[in-house]
Amino acid sequence: MGTRQKIDARGAFCPGPLMELIATLKLVQIGDEIEVWSSDKGSATDIPEWVKKVRHELVGVTKEDGYWSIVVRKAK
Amino acid sequence: METKPLFILLCSGEHEKLQMAAMLASVAAVSERPVEVFVSMNAVLGFAKDAPAAERYHGGAFSKLLTEKRAPDPMALFRQGRELGSLKLWACSMALDVLGWELDRLEDDMFDGALGLTRFLSDAENGQFITL
Repeated sequence: MGTRQKIDARGAFCPGPLMELIATLKLVQIGDEIEVWSSDKGSATDIPEWVKKVRHELVGVTKEDGYWSIVVRKAK
Repeated sequence: METKPLFILLCSGEHEKLQMAAMLASVAAVSERPVEVFVSMNAVLGFAKDAPAAERYHGGAFSKLLTEKRAPDPMALFRQGRELGSLKLWACSMALDVLGWELDRLEDDMFDGALGLTRFLSDAENGQFITL
């Protein structure tokens, strides 16, 4: 099982959280997970769409108090 | 189904349109879709090297909101798209001639060169074309 890194992108607007996720994905290993915290509602749907398009794995999306937690696993 | 490349003709210098072009280009590029942006007319002025944000960005009500809320900067988004995906920017040769500018008057590491419309239109024949 890989490691999990967290990106706190609360307060950033779309596509900021997505860009931070992608930049971090380039640095981690296959199997590692990245958890993005975003207060931007658009990113909560945009990030899963991107994950599906480029064929990483979406571990889950959870609504927290004032933000979404989106967990992505690097698949390639 | 093969993804069509995206070609953006960016002519407006309005903040809102620079922002939209940057968002379209960067998100498409990081989604494994090749993108090319042809920058002409007033949009060239938006890429002036080292211009402070207050000089670079001007527009309507949304421009003010984008600045107040600290939306991602268009220049930063273009750079991220170039770094993380396939994104090329071309400066319109004609617009540079009219301004009397060379490429070195524009933001560093942003443009792949100056280009004429003929070549851009030819390359765009098999892609999706958007004008802003």
